[in-house]
Amino acid sequence: MSRFFERYEPETRHFFDEVIATEGAPRPHYDKMLQRFAQFSIDDIKARREIVNIFFRNQGITFTVYGEDEGVERLFPFDLIPRVVPAHEWLTIEKGLIQRITALNEFLNDIYHGQKILKDKIIPAELILGSQHFRREFVGINPPLGIYIHVTGSDIIRDRQGHYLVLEDNLRTPSGVSYMLQNRQAMKRAFPVLFDKYKIRPIENYPQELLRTLQEIGPVSRREPNVVVLTPGIYNSAYFEHSFLARQMGVELTEGKDLVVNNNKVYTRTTRGLELVDVIYRRVDDAYLDPLVFRPDSKLGVAGLVNAYRKGNVTLANAIGCGVADDKVIYSFVPKIIKYYLGEDPILENVPTWLASNHDDLKYILANLDSLVVKAANESGGYGMLIGPESTIEEQEKFAEMIVANPRNYIAQPTISLSRHPSFFNDTELWGCHIDLRPYVLYGKTVTIVPGGLTRVALKRGSLVVNSSQGGGSKDTWVVDE
Amino acid sequence: MLSRVAESLFWMSRYFERAENTARFLDVNFNLLLDLNKITHVENPSYWIALILVTSDRERFNSLYEEYSAHTVTDYLVFNKSNPNSITSCVSLARENARSIIESISSEMWEQVNNLYHYLQSVTPQFVHTDPYGFYKEIKNASHLFQGITDNTFSHNEGWDFIQIAKYLERTDNIARLIDVKYHMLLSEAQNQAEIVEGSEDIIQWMAVLKSCSALEAFRKVYLSKIDPDNILRFLILDRTFPRSINFSVCAAEDALWRISGSSRHRYVNNADRLIGKLEAELSYTAIEDIYAKGLHHYLEDLEQRLVKVGEQVHLTYFAYHTPEIEPVDIEEALPFTGVAGGRAYWSQAQQHQQQQQQ
Repeated sequence: MSRFFERYEPETRHFFDEVIATEGAPRPHYDKMLQRFAQFSIDDIKARREIVNIFFRNQGITFTVYGEDEGVERLFPFDLIPRVVPAHEWLTIEKGLIQRITALNEFLNDIYHGQKILKDKIIPAELILGSQHFRREFVGINPPLGIYIHVTGSDIIRDRQGHYLVLEDNLRTPSGVSYMLQNRQAMKRAFPVLFDKYKIRPIENYPQELLRTLQEIGPVSRREPNVVVLTPGIYNSAYFEHSFLARQMGVELTEGKDLVVNNNKVYTRTTRGLELVDVIYRRVDDAYLDPLVFRPDSKLGVAGLVNAYRKGNVTLANAIGCGVADDKVIYSFVPKIIKYYLGEDPILENVPTWLASNHDDLKYILANLDSLVVKAANESGGYGMLIGPESTIEEQEKFAEMIVANPRNYIAQPTISLSRHPSFFNDTELWGCHIDLRPYVLYGKTVTIVPGGLTRVALKRGSLVVNSSQGGGSKDTWVVDE
Repeated sequence: MLSRVAESLFWMSRYFERAENTARFLDVNFNLLLDLNKITHVENPSYWIALILVTSDRERFNSLYEEYSAHTVTDYLVFNKSNPNSITSCVSLARENARSIIESISSEMWEQVNNLYHYLQSVTPQFVHTDPYGFYKEIKNASHLFQGITDNTFSHNEGWDFIQIAKYLERTDNIARLIDVKYHMLLSEAQNQAEIVEGSEDIIQWMAVLKSCSALEAFRKVYLSKIDPDNILRFLILDRTFPRSINFSVCAAEDALWRISGSSRHRYVNNADRLIGKLEAELSYTAIEDIYAKGLHHYLEDLEQRLVKVGEQVHLTYFAYHTPEIEPVDIEEALPFTGVAGGRAYWSQAQQHQQQQQQ
């Protein structure tokens, strides 16, 4: 084993380590990687780190942190050791996600049409109809092909035994796919030899697949659809990604002010007049899309866009109102949703979840605040969260009050010790850092998943939060054929 | 091309050019004062007030500083963030525009804008006062490099033409102002000291103007005889081959506008083309005596006004959502675009930082 790995402590008694199996031997799919790293000195690693940093800086791959000095731009921390997912494990993830996304789409279609699942009392109606993301204005609207969730990014974790579990479905505007693509480019530059030793499935076709998906969902009976990306603008933290995807797909990147609606049709304003738009890959939340329908103070949206959408003159990806299905409360019903619409058992399990809105669960949550993770149902990015074992008594009391005041808004889960993966600290030694995985699912005429995803790493020692806004980083993810 | 992208290309280019020209204003003044150190000194306020007058910013300047000196004027024109035309502000605005269309420009262009921005963040007033020549040279070279990079890495299509229009409109405006510095100097000299500038100083001042346009050598090649004001004005205003003359710049802007719209001589398809064509035609048939007949200062002021109108029409035709008008319209009433902030065009983009971040 390499000098780096010799000194690495996997602590397999407490954690599932991705690289080192319990016996202390590496898992077979990591053999070649350890052999390669055995040949590296600290200077070799530093040289490769430099290659990677220059690559990211030149590409302008930064994200913005709020709350400190009005949005400082930072390089997204990147770990040099890639994560390897063997093909047979990937097959499970892929099948599981296809099943899950198909069922969730059926669910949305039902919620916005007959609401059979509510009438059959599988899910309490008040949970849906009372959700802030349920858009009653869109009941009865038919998006092309009946698809609501064209682009999703589910967060998957591994528990103590190494089982893959779904932690969250991001059905609105999941971000991070540009990091997935750029991480791969960076790794190819820094580790060409290692790269060559594995049969790594390519992910570079993601932008083409995304474009194909967006073209497939265009309004019917139209010429080749004109696709645009809609971004909130340059001050948005994911702006780099919006511009990256537009460039990679070869379509226009637009802001709200570039679009006008005339006679229920959407156009871009160009130097040669107006051009008709068919499909909008929007990275703007529902609430900001159209000041005439949602937040009237929105300057990011387009007045009249929702009517054009309702008329079927333009397709929005994702559809309006998808948030109702990725609420953390609805999450707990997904296994039932899969069973109800597909008649199948879920391939990927959920993390056990207690609902504060359920009387018995609430009692359990309040009694076990010190060991549970409590999450606000509608927050994302690691905000609005209580991690029981790491919290103080005061924090627990504060959360208890908030939960009792608004039980619909809270869920609790056991503190799962996420699997760990050796990651560099200061480029000199390896630490076991907690990771998750976000594969990106595209839903057009078929459901496609490029083999891989964004592996996020909690680079703060011991931290369980992998979000980039909370000091997390990422690593390249290799799906390899054995 | 999206109107917003065209507009951002336009302002990126325009602010870059403005930063370069402000550096030229300041550079020429330092040189001039050194050349004239027999009769005056570097802190002579009447030389510094001219720079503020020529950028039409007297009121804002007076609200910020007590006196006109090398120190205050340099601070105002280089560093001051509340001055939208300071070099720092111009480069920030050029960068902001570039950043918003980063997917449309070449990465080399972005790097160059970004480099200059970071360079300016690192420069201290002390540094500028110690080595003004070096500092202004740095700014000028950064601008030249940016133009070279743009020429060689960016497709010469519609977007490139918007960059050219902006660059040459801005340059024309600045040459006119630079020539006018001389007028303001004479005026303030007369007001303050009733001192008559003698023949040799007069020539030194004119040479400084030439130098600030990098025009001294080119001028020498055309006019072998002595340097006299008539020839200098002929060269800077009417020469058709020197890239920092007014006539050359107007022709270049006209060419770019025509390439975009498909206009040609005697046939214009929009008001921007009509106004620039009219200006170019007049310049082509103007003699230096015509300019004197009108009065140099008034001639230049009138030229600046007309450039503003061309800019307004470019905005109306290509950037604002509208139905095209070919007949002349009364511009004063029609506009969201303000055009005139101290007589200079500026980017009137309302920002939406707040909501973009909340998203």
